[in-house]
Amino acid sequence: MRDVIVVGGGLAGLVAALRLRRAGLHTTLVHMGRGGLQLGQGTIDVLGYRPSLVAHPLTELGEFCALEERRGGPTHPYNLLGVEPVRVGVGFLRELVGEAMAGDIETNVLLPTALGGLRPTTLYPASMAAGTVSLDPSDPGALHDGSRVVVVGIEQLKDFSCQLVAQNLATIELPGGGRLETRSASVSFPGRGTEADSNAVAIARALDRPERRRDFVAALGRLARRGETIAVPNVLGLTDETFTAIADGLGRPVFEIPLPPPGVAGMRLTDRLTDLARAYRVEMILGSRVIGAETGLGRIRSLRLGTAGHETDLEARYVLLAPGGFESGAIELDSYGRLHEPALGLPLAVPDAELLNDSWAGEQPIFRTGVATDCTMRVVEPATGEPVHENLYAAGGFLAGAQRWDEKSGEGIALASAVRAADSIIEQLKES
Amino acid sequence: MADLTVDVVVIGGGATGAGVARDVAMRGLSVALVDRADLAQGTTARYHGLLHSGGRYVVSDPESARECAEENRIVTRIHANAVEQTGGLFVVTPDDSEEYADGFLAAAASAQVPAEEITVAQALAREPRLNPGIKRAFAVLDGTVDGWAMVRGAAESARAYGAHILPYHEVTAIHRDGDRVVGVTVRDVKAGADKRITCRFVMNAAGPWAGRVAALAGCEDVDVVPGRGIMIAMNHRLVNTVINRCIKPADGDILVPVHTVAIIGTTDVKAADPDKLPIPRAEVQQMLDAGEALVPGFRRARAVHAWAGARPLVKDTRVSASDTRHMSRGMSVLDHASRDGLAGMLTITGGKLTTYRLMAERIVDIMCEQMGEDRPCRTADEPVPAAEGAPTYTVTHRLADREKDRRDDQIICECELMSKSMFLDLLEEDPSATLDDLRRRLRLGMGPCQGGFCSTRAAGLMCAAGARSSVQATDELRGFLKHRWIGLWPILAGGQLRQAALDEWIARGTLDIDHAPGQTDPIEPYPVGTEIDERDRARARAVIGGQEVPA
Repeated sequence: MRDVIVVGGGLAGLVAALRLRRAGLHTTLVHMGRGGLQLGQGTIDVLGYRPSLVAHPLTELGEFCALEERRGGPTHPYNLLGVEPVRVGVGFLRELVGEAMAGDIETNVLLPTALGGLRPTTLYPASMAAGTVSLDPSDPGALHDGSRVVVVGIEQLKDFSCQLVAQNLATIELPGGGRLETRSASVSFPGRGTEADSNAVAIARALDRPERRRDFVAALGRLARRGETIAVPNVLGLTDETFTAIADGLGRPVFEIPLPPPGVAGMRLTDRLTDLARAYRVEMILGSRVIGAETGLGRIRSLRLGTAGHETDLEARYVLLAPGGFESGAIELDSYGRLHEPALGLPLAVPDAELLNDSWAGEQPIFRTGVATDCTMRVVEPATGEPVHENLYAAGGFLAGAQRWDEKSGEGIALASAVRAADSIIEQLKES
Repeated sequence: MADLTVDVVVIGGGATGAGVARDVAMRGLSVALVDRADLAQGTTARYHGLLHSGGRYVVSDPESARECAEENRIVTRIHANAVEQTGGLFVVTPDDSEEYADGFLAAAASAQVPAEEITVAQALAREPRLNPGIKRAFAVLDGTVDGWAMVRGAAESARAYGAHILPYHEVTAIHRDGDRVVGVTVRDVKAGADKRITCRFVMNAAGPWAGRVAALAGCEDVDVVPGRGIMIAMNHRLVNTVINRCIKPADGDILVPVHTVAIIGTTDVKAADPDKLPIPRAEVQQMLDAGEALVPGFRRARAVHAWAGARPLVKDTRVSASDTRHMSRGMSVLDHASRDGLAGMLTITGGKLTTYRLMAERIVDIMCEQMGEDRPCRTADEPVPAAEGAPTYTVTHRLADREKDRRDDQIICECELMSKSMFLDLLEEDPSATLDDLRRRLRLGMGPCQGGFCSTRAAGLMCAAGARSSVQATDELRGFLKHRWIGLWPILAGGQLRQAALDEWIARGTLDIDHAPGQTDPIEPYPVGTEIDERDRARARAVIGGQEVPA
């Protein structure tokens, strides 16, 4: 019998499956779609705002948790986890992906956004390193006062306005003082044939081909001036090697700015982790939704999967759910205003406040809804703290308590909770 | 010194005002149409899009039904670009008695409203999602009309006849010389300047705001009660035919396919202030239940947006225009000469969008009589410029257009198939247009993503085209998303909440919109229902906070 079924193909699910497999457990990863990484910006956010800008995510986590404690309502995952699992989780990811991710877990950096703002994050793909603005006074950072940046748009790509990005970036007073000197420029680079409307993935795929890449590098090389860093939208290939080839070809600093989904940087990370999972012989079941479970004696005995055309029952000793939140359909609100978890009908921890309110700029408490866990990430009844099933664990965006997008905490929570849940299961199996 | 001299000033850029302006202009008089906000931003925009066949009124008000049937034909002809000939059905659901239906055909015949009974099987063949338990069905000639396109069409037609069309011009004073109206002062809301318009006559077509406008002329106690109604758009055309419940007019008795959505409506609750119209959850539930009665499974379909509009209902015990032969059904005309001793001003409210042209004809007749002009109405004779030679609208028009230009143009709003050049062309025509102004003309951000993807692109285009600085464009984006939220949060559930979560992830997570340059929570640039001084002060503060002075 398999040891663990992990549900969800996002960061939490992939990392948990790899962790379990590396401990020698027979692990099956079940997922419906391509996972949540491609929905986001492709960096590893640990904690960006509390709500003021966070420079040192681990040091400031305590103060953040103290504030969260006072807020009441569902417990924030970081309050359950504390600092150590974050360090372990982020460390484990680095171990898995090596130099593909850069950055220092102790110190955040700021990276330009597709709105021309600066956004905090902790780890970032190597393809964004030349765009970092430092929050550490002792480190000048890649971009600083007086740095010259040419923001290059692609005429066929509608999700990136080089003018908006360049002009907005130039208005920002940098944390270390001063401003960037920016200008905008654009190149024509259709993803396919002579199409006028290309998305980021089509362009990235084109750039994976050496002959198209050469044209692109030549075009960028022609418009960049001496001393300028080149900023481009996040399209530089679906593989990490493409960026390296482009950067080498240009011979000058170049970096990518994340776009709305599908996010190429997130896809690269998904692909890398998926390849690893295959290499480690994690059993992968794609295109399947969990539609129920057989339970007994306080445990889940098997999960029922809805796969095209038929249903399959999958037995396992442990189950780890990492299917995401509302954005993934893993938590639902019906037209009568009732919240539910559609796969297993799990109890949900729900904020006390009105779930949705009329303030666009303010917080929408509904997004804190999720499953409650104890500090081992075992799913519990929110009211009593009693385990729902002895062998059911959860991780990532499925957990209650966080406002991942406001806090810039999504990947930190995913990694810390995935590793904690996996380690809890490993420990339990060792004992038995 | 007057900035502009015209025969007539029409106040209110909704269907009524635009219809009056067109009528006046086509009769050869000079006219200025003013509105404090965009054209068709009030009651005209906040309705369900039905172009009545008359069927709704055959039992309760046959005269009204006859007017609707006739005007339906005229509006379809003169506004072909804005009208879709969907046809309509009146259906008796399992919950309804057949008593009303029994008298329906006879009443339709006597009101000269085309109607025929079809079998339930025929009705279900035509509309497969319809409740299979319906007992009877009658086919009528209902259509749907885009209120924005219709008003825009009427205004463009008026302009072609020399009218001055002045949206975002709020009337701040109505001037009188003794017992005569002699002009108005308007505030150019976007430019922040006052203008004086001299005129012989003022037509107050301000709908639920008509009482406030009349008060500017010293005509007190024009008591207009806003009747608030909510509507919910579902993300598909659940039906392709207008579906009416064959009962006495009631809440939630109609489902209207308009453009890419189907709209369920509506309620009728007295409101205190037409500028503050809530969308109560209880009414949302009531509409979803009503939808469920017509289309089983309605609640599992995806509600994308809701809005509330205010019907203007005049409660005036004093003298109205005495000659009721001049009136269209449902419309109220206040003759301020006989009511208040003020010559040169009429207030017109009420009526139906379907009969907007007829209402305009009747009131302009009264006006001409008072002005001593003998000029016949010509509005039914010729189509508006946008409808010239155009077939009636079909929902596939844009798809056909995109099929033609997809190799050369980008689709900025995929849900509504709005291309980049459609957007840039209109922006070039009116660089001061807000994203919301452009939405009313292009349907930008009105589909399932509610602006999550397309509005960022559109804001980028505003900056790239030089119509806005980057900071202003960023605030435009925030303002647009904030507007969308008004009609989203009361109905979010199911797939639309899932979408909202993704939109939050994009805007707040990936784009970190809250910390991008500009104001985190920008004030409404052109708020309605706020005192002008207060508004100017707020905007001055915003400009200082946003570090940039608007162009």
